[in-house]
Amino acid sequence: MFGLIGHSTSFADAKRKASILGFDHIAEGDLDVWCMAPPQLVENVEVKSAVGISIEGSYIDSCFVPEMLSRFKTARRKVLNAMELAQKKGINITALGGFTSIIFENFNLLQHKQIRNTSLEWERFTTGNTHTAWVICRQLEINAPKVGIDIKKSNVAVIGATGDIGSAVCRWLTKKTGIGELIMVARQQEPLIALQKELDGGVIKTLEEALPLADIVVWVASMPKTMEIDISRLKKPCLMIDGGYPKNLDEKFKGNDIHILKGGIVKFFNDIGWNMMELAEMENPQREMFACFAEAMILEFEKCHTNFSWGRNNITLEKMEFIGAASEKHGFSAIGLDKQINPLPV
Amino acid sequence: MNKSFTNMQTLESNKKSNLEPQVDENSGNLPDFTTDAYKDAYSRINAIVIEGEQEAYDNYISIASLLPKDSEELTKLAKMELKHKRGFIACGKNLSVEADMVFAKEFFSKLHGNFQTALENENLTTCLLIQAILIEAFAISAYHVYIRVADPFAKKITQGVVNDEYLHLNYGEKWLKENLHTCKNELIAANKANLPLIKKMLDQVADDAAILSMDKEELMEEFMIAYQDALLEMGLDNREIARMAMAAIV
Repeated sequence: MFGLIGHSTSFADAKRKASILGFDHIAEGDLDVWCMAPPQLVENVEVKSAVGISIEGSYIDSCFVPEMLSRFKTARRKVLNAMELAQKKGINITALGGFTSIIFENFNLLQHKQIRNTSLEWERFTTGNTHTAWVICRQLEINAPKVGIDIKKSNVAVIGATGDIGSAVCRWLTKKTGIGELIMVARQQEPLIALQKELDGGVIKTLEEALPLADIVVWVASMPKTMEIDISRLKKPCLMIDGGYPKNLDEKFKGNDIHILKGGIVKFFNDIGWNMMELAEMENPQREMFACFAEAMILEFEKCHTNFSWGRNNITLEKMEFIGAASEKHGFSAIGLDKQINPLPV
Repeated sequence: MNKSFTNMQTLESNKKSNLEPQVDENSGNLPDFTTDAYKDAYSRINAIVIEGEQEAYDNYISIASLLPKDSEELTKLAKMELKHKRGFIACGKNLSVEADMVFAKEFFSKLHGNFQTALENENLTTCLLIQAILIEAFAISAYHVYIRVADPFAKKITQGVVNDEYLHLNYGEKWLKENLHTCKNELIAANKANLPLIKKMLDQVADDAAILSMDKEELMEEFMIAYQDALLEMGLDNREIARMAMAAIV
């Protein structure tokens, strides 16, 4: 079995969804009630891959909402309790979606192995970041030529370059894709310099310096809401891949010849017959999902029961190649720009 | 998918804002067990636990009178509660605290009254819900939270107790599951009458619990987890559980 641990994008949204699902006691509660709410196994599903392998899985809502980020203990409990539920249900491999994996990482939850009578087995969980990084790279490789960008000559800025996904993307673009120049942007200088050394290439810039130089911008950190960008200074055409969470780039960069692609989203070849991705607000919820969720499904299809993506900066090119090949084999593809350029007649 | 915060530019910057941590209160940041404030709060919490175990003993013996075929098992479960009671008396002694038993009797009085009424009317479902589900889930949740912040002596004893309490919860779950088709209506009605009492009891001890470093929000969440698990195990679905749980918060 595979598992997906998710959460709503806001408290208001969470209440609305809880009401639809019939969780009235939570739906009607205030934020304090939500802070006390246990994780919920919302849905079970059976999925058949493109090569005919059937697997079963469950979606668990952690009852976390982003408004809880400032409540350290609450956020920690939400993640750990959801993980405990996944393990108690006997799920082999569960992806930590949304803020779940960053809470796990940044709150150092590794030291909380014992949850009540359950000793958490880390090998049952994955951040899904390897697949996300691979999907973002494929989205870049496939879509840049479609908007008239020559990848081999392009400047690619990676915003959030030193994060788990960002550094993997930098690695792949440098070693596998072959781009004109890699521009790395992140807050902290030290890890940037270390990454530059590891890659033996790439230039380090501030966000303000990087944007006017870039033909392609990969965002693997969300943009500050308050940030103002003068889009006249951007290159045209410009491809922006929004790999952040939540995805809010299209609000900022409306303009001709600026193409915004939702990063790290994949499409399955068939309708899945679940409701869970409607909750995640996918455009085509029967087929589309976050790549990190898909990683848990791929690992289950492959009977690869291990914490494939775990910790920080452990994503190798080999792992990306493995998950990418398995992703395509079982019927996943990275979503592209096509429908955004030429919308289908309704 | 990258997971970053809405207003943050990079993952790294997160560490400086929301994620300002974070002394791990579970490792080495325990309360001072020797202060007067701690001992004062402990005199009531300890008494509740001792009284709770005594109530549990009495209740399982009473339930056995309604379920003669399970008498042997119920007597065994009941005796475990007396063992727990002795353990918790030792915890108080270890901290030189005298348990406030008058407070504890009053604390349980309403729930005690409801149980006695159900017993007189031979409402077995109600008796099992009160003792084997609500009180056990309450105990399990409180013990789990307490274990994280208890003095070393009490921690060891409580760890032993909590494993036993699951056996009691399982007994109630099993019987109610087997009889759900005939007892569901009574179960729902009994829940509506008694779950709010549990919530009130929790509210009543919240301040004392906080002095013992037991967070009310965490206590309630732990209770909801144990309670929801028990109802799921009995075969109730998510919507039914949601409706039942509502009784605790309205």
